[in-house]
Amino acid sequence: MRDKMRTKGFILILLLIASQYTMAQNPDISGFARSYEGVLLKTGNFGIVQQTLNLNFEKRGGKVAFKANPMVFLYNADSLDVRMRELYMDMYFDNFDIRIGKQQVVWGKADGVFITDIVSPLNLTEFLLPDFDEIRTGVIATKVNYYLGNSTLEAIWIPVFTPTEKPPQGSIWYIQPDFPAPPTWDFSREQITPSLESSELFLKYTALTSAIDFEFMGAYTWDDNPTLHVQKEFELDPNSQQPVLTGLYITPEHHRLAIAGGSFSSEIKGVILRGEAAYYNGKYFLTEDPLEADGNIQKNYLHYLVGLDFNLGAVKVSSQFIQQTILNYDNYIQNEQTENTMTFLARYDMFRETLHLELFSYIGLSNSDALIRPKITYDFDDSFSILLGSNIFVGDEGGRFGQYHDNSMIYTKIKYSF
Amino acid sequence: MKNIQITTAIIAMIIAIGSIPELKGQDLTGKQIIDKVYNRPTGDDQTSDLTMTLINKSGAQRIRKIKQFTMDLGAVEKSIMFFLSPADVKNTSFMNWTYDTDQGDDQWIYLPALKKTKRISSDSKSDYFMGSDFTYDDLGDRKLEDDTHKLLREETIDGKECYVVESISIDEDYMYSKTLVWVDKSNFIGVKKEFYDEDEDLLKVLAIKEIEKISGIWVIKNSEMKNVQKNHRTTIVLSNIQINTGMSASKFSERMMMRGL
Repeated sequence: MRDKMRTKGFILILLLIASQYTMAQNPDISGFARSYEGVLLKTGNFGIVQQTLNLNFEKRGGKVAFKANPMVFLYNADSLDVRMRELYMDMYFDNFDIRIGKQQVVWGKADGVFITDIVSPLNLTEFLLPDFDEIRTGVIATKVNYYLGNSTLEAIWIPVFTPTEKPPQGSIWYIQPDFPAPPTWDFSREQITPSLESSELFLKYTALTSAIDFEFMGAYTWDDNPTLHVQKEFELDPNSQQPVLTGLYITPEHHRLAIAGGSFSSEIKGVILRGEAAYYNGKYFLTEDPLEADGNIQKNYLHYLVGLDFNLGAVKVSSQFIQQTILNYDNYIQNEQTENTMTFLARYDMFRETLHLELFSYIGLSNSDALIRPKITYDFDDSFSILLGSNIFVGDEGGRFGQYHDNSMIYTKIKYSF
Repeated sequence: MKNIQITTAIIAMIIAIGSIPELKGQDLTGKQIIDKVYNRPTGDDQTSDLTMTLINKSGAQRIRKIKQFTMDLGAVEKSIMFFLSPADVKNTSFMNWTYDTDQGDDQWIYLPALKKTKRISSDSKSDYFMGSDFTYDDLGDRKLEDDTHKLLREETIDGKECYVVESISIDEDYMYSKTLVWVDKSNFIGVKKEFYDEDEDLLKVLAIKEIEKISGIWVIKNSEMKNVQKNHRTTIVLSNIQINTGMSASKFSERMMMRGL
């Protein structure tokens, strides 16, 4: 632990030296310092004690630009996590731009839901609780944007696959899988060796017009979540002479996915109507079908959303309905055929926009569970805000949100922006 | 993130009440006077730095800085704003397209933290812009037919002979019961404007403090809106104003919103 701290401390010193050096080059430096503490309602224990330093170094010219965005997280008193969220360079040409390096890419029109927004994988180590601008992981990529008036053709090549980041064992967000027999894990096939053959490709066409904004996208990518291939081990019961399941041999492996989709947004009489959909070709799902040798079956899959943004007096309201559907479903598949979710957001600003009230919720319609997130933010100064919030998990403990019913918490975030 | 949903470019509004048509008013009606105020030369394109200072009743100040570009493309006027400060909205950009027809404005906001350009509703006219004393409607292009206009009297303020015109919205749900504008008879610049609330009590007073002729176009460089009921005020100061620079229409695109300054 002490060596780890020393290494990360060294990285931190390097960052500070780099910042001194880059300051000499007159880059634009911005960012924030934040103190984030949360207390679990059930136990009174701290669910999170996190101090964050976010630094943005940017230098922009007429033809080129660069950005570096290191983030330093200090958990509790001694656990340091240093991340380079982004580190890229831009080249600007008359009709196209090129961005090379580690970058975060955001696609689609959905808020807080990831449908065509699949280029940058998610960091789910704290479930869906991080701010939406912090939940994505950067990918090492080359991105080319070609501009045709108010439309854009975007092509992305990712040579190094980055998976979804899951909560580690021991985290309050880690859910122990429920297996019918003791598992043995084989992680030998989980890694994807970077190569031309294992690259990911993404393509998007975007148009922004007076009547409607829309996007079409396609991707040849990897499933960010590994498929768990399961081999069952049986022994004969000496009494009944029947085979008895005695163990599972589980091999996580990422598989290729071809995805096509699109999104749109338009204003109709003061209401913003948004929609987004993606079609996944051949996604793996766990099955209990005895004919499927390794416990998985490939099915096509549809994920879509419709949403509205509107004003109720001075309150800004946004709501989305999301449906995930497995096509050509059979009853052996462990997932439900259809899962419906809603989101709801209401926001009200007071006192010349120094006090902000917000309520955001995910509502699991299929499992009757929800994550309810009220918060109040006071801008003590233009650069200094104090937030008091709560994450309330309610409903069916088998649901995506209800399973975290022990993790309901109240929290504060104190933030200084510069 | 603060509410930075906004309507059309501020400079367009300021110039809208600050132009100098060549015609002198003789027996003009209220509508004709306001028409002359609204329809004035603004140039083909404009660039400026805007500093907005919010001052509360105890004198404490909060400052917002914006770089803005506006271009008249005939049937549509496009504007784009880049927020420079405060820190938590830095690099946020906003684009507005305003049409000569009855079509509503198109508005988009780019949030750099979310890396996303979002279409937003233009149906927020009564909201206050970034916590200031200016509503989006105050800052936007109001159309002549949106109100009935009546010449009340002629009056001299600060040594300037003015028409005093009362405007009442056709829309009964409009946030102001009426507005009064003092229009300088010599140049048809609106030099003062009063806003009355739904109870017909005086709510706000807009005062023009400095104008300057740049590239042949009069521009109001310094103005102040005071809320007389709550005793707080907001000043807007424009600097580095450039007009008719031959700006490219491609500046008003998602590409530029995301790239920033």
